[in-house]
Amino acid sequence: MKKKLKFNACVGGILTGGMLLFILTGIFFLPYDPDAMNAELRFAGMSLAHPLGCDNYGRDILTRMLVGSRTTLLVALGTIVVGGGVGTLVGALTGYFGGWLDEVMMRVIDALFAFPSILLALVVVSLLGAGKYNVILALGIAFIPSFARVVRSQYLKLKEMDYVKNARIIGCGHFRIIFVHILPNTLSVLVPTLMIGFNNAVLAEAGMSYLGIGVQPPDASLGRMLSEAQTYLFAHPLQAISPGFAIVLLVLGFSLLADAMEEKGCRC
Amino acid sequence: MQMLEVQDLNIEFHDHSMPETVVYDFSLSMAEGDIVGIVGESGSGKTMSALALCGLLSRHDMTRRGRILFQGKELLTCSRQDMRQLQGREISIIFQEPMTSLNPVKTIGWQVEEALRLHTRMTRKERYEKAIWALREAELPEPERVYGQYPHELSGGMRQRVMIAAAIVCQPRILIADEPTTALDVTIQDQIIRLLQKLNKEFGTAILFISHDLSLVRRLCHRVVVMQNGQIVEQGDTEKIFRNPTQDYTKRLIAAIPSCDKEKTEWNQIGTVVLKVEDLHASYEDAGNGIFRHGKEKEVLKGISFRLRQGEILGLVGESGCGKSTLAKSIVGLKRDYQGRIVGAEGRIRMVFQDPYSSLNPSRTIDWILEEPLKLSGVSKSERREKVREMLRRVGLETGIADRYPRQLSGGQRQRVCIALALMSEPAVLVADEPVSALDVTIQAQILKLLARLREEMGLAILFISHDLRVVYEICDRVLILQNGQIVEQGLPQTLYRHAAHAYTKQLLKASGVVEVNI
Repeated sequence: MKKKLKFNACVGGILTGGMLLFILTGIFFLPYDPDAMNAELRFAGMSLAHPLGCDNYGRDILTRMLVGSRTTLLVALGTIVVGGGVGTLVGALTGYFGGWLDEVMMRVIDALFAFPSILLALVVVSLLGAGKYNVILALGIAFIPSFARVVRSQYLKLKEMDYVKNARIIGCGHFRIIFVHILPNTLSVLVPTLMIGFNNAVLAEAGMSYLGIGVQPPDASLGRMLSEAQTYLFAHPLQAISPGFAIVLLVLGFSLLADAMEEKGCRC
Repeated sequence: MQMLEVQDLNIEFHDHSMPETVVYDFSLSMAEGDIVGIVGESGSGKTMSALALCGLLSRHDMTRRGRILFQGKELLTCSRQDMRQLQGREISIIFQEPMTSLNPVKTIGWQVEEALRLHTRMTRKERYEKAIWALREAELPEPERVYGQYPHELSGGMRQRVMIAAAIVCQPRILIADEPTTALDVTIQDQIIRLLQKLNKEFGTAILFISHDLSLVRRLCHRVVVMQNGQIVEQGDTEKIFRNPTQDYTKRLIAAIPSCDKEKTEWNQIGTVVLKVEDLHASYEDAGNGIFRHGKEKEVLKGISFRLRQGEILGLVGESGCGKSTLAKSIVGLKRDYQGRIVGAEGRIRMVFQDPYSSLNPSRTIDWILEEPLKLSGVSKSERREKVREMLRRVGLETGIADRYPRQLSGGQRQRVCIALALMSEPAVLVADEPVSALDVTIQAQILKLLARLREEMGLAILFISHDLRVVYEICDRVLILQNGQIVEQGLPQTLYRHAAHAYTKQLLKASGVVEVNI
């Protein structure tokens, strides 16, 4: 059990660390202009000058991946901040106070939950228009229910604990109890949920860009690159393999880390 | 040959990086019809030894040395098939918590019959009859009706009877009872003990009774085994050990049992009244289902009046459901929808809870927890530190534990921290809701001493809620007996215990074996 845990944490850490390093590199150093087209280099294979080859417009794939994974990470993190933040707030308030607020909010959450998150994001994007920030907003809204539910169930359980009653007796206000006394105790459940949410956000961004409603060309994102590569999948598989592989590594690394965290959370 | 022979049993876990031995050289022999008690404080290895006997310890995580012979058969090395043949048929077990040891989605009948289904070739009708027989033996009223009911429809005492019925349905040779009465009220406890005695007499079932309650063990068991830190300290005839304990640990355990024989100095009622409760009525709403439907109102407090004076420890005794906790909640301000008056000590009432494991915030350090009341009243950081240190010393803790987390402390230490937290804002009244019932006897004695000392030093008035009449006798100056939301009797413990007037008080005293009273 323990060995497996360490293995998860180790491999997860290496994969995630590697991806972050890769993205960090892209911020400070790009070998080429990610949008510069070169007709002569269309579908160029691997070479020293272009280690991962070039795409259908002759743009360097490595450069586009450096930029694209940064976009994907940004969208995923943004989604988690928006969805996790609002979801935690809603869950904490409804779980703690209960009553009609809880009834009304949870019915709204149920309604949101009833739609597949991609579908919901589609609706939001079609109302607000496409683009990086609208995708964050759209996915964030779609992700609220899952966080709200998890946090609410924690609050329902924890608000009955004697230390919460004690905090009330010594005169703490409701908001101090909610955020200072209870919130840290939900972290063991909240953190793994956020990490799994992050993975789903990466996949959702890729999915949306693939469908053409996410990040708009010529901006690069991992999903966008996959979408562009799809047309030439059989003739030039290299163009699809690199971004696909990056998505797998990013998600796998985070999943393993989340697993390890969850196990650890259960223990203490 | 004895029916059960345990020779030098050792249990060692490999769960953590360091192998940890929880039971050392445990030896025991039991003949048919024996009742043997294992006593010891938490962590002494008593439950582990019992689980090893009935084959409930996983064989993976541990090494077991020694031998367990049951009717000449090796239990530690026999195949799982053979073990399963014995489990439930020859060896049965009853657990502590009747709320979780029954499956909530199966009927009582189904659960009682399960052992028959596994071990016999009885027909459906025979099984039904046998199950009804077992339920009747366990003295459940209307066994035919109970047969079709679900666990949630029964009270705690009835569930424990169902557990016993399920355990005896195959008429086992040996019954292992792991703290079977700890979660129950005294009167129910008494009934279960009588039931076990009856089963032992009627069928000659041997009983291995595990408990931390020495007075129960003394009443029930022929022989007793005293354990400490995984080792047997002393064993022998119950009466002999209780009269002349030879080991220090046993002496300490027995001395820690609160006793009602001591003479108490009469308490003089001169302090000023700090809390006055007048004609308090409170009710609870049953959980209604649906948004707009309301549940039925259930009255739990029906006109409670009493006064609490400075420096007084007032005992409040009653069984579960009598309204003790509702009263406590109303007084400290956790429940506000009551009728009647609670006057005095506004904002200067603090509370100590029963379970020291859930009353401290697990994600905060001790000094953070203790500083919280001071933070709210705007005391400076250095002053807060100083006060926390002083308070820790006052409740008998080292100041070094300030930067630890609650999980790093023992139960007794935690309860001291809880008391310290309650005292941080210098309250006039302390409401202690079963503050010692989750603790081992020796720790219990220490906490009681601490409370008595704090009362002396700080002139604190304490409302001491408990179901344990002995503890109440030991610490309280005056006692209120609460039944169904009403105070049925009150007085000084020394007079009340000897000359109880109300039938319910007599019943309580008799059930807890404090005084022999004729009803």
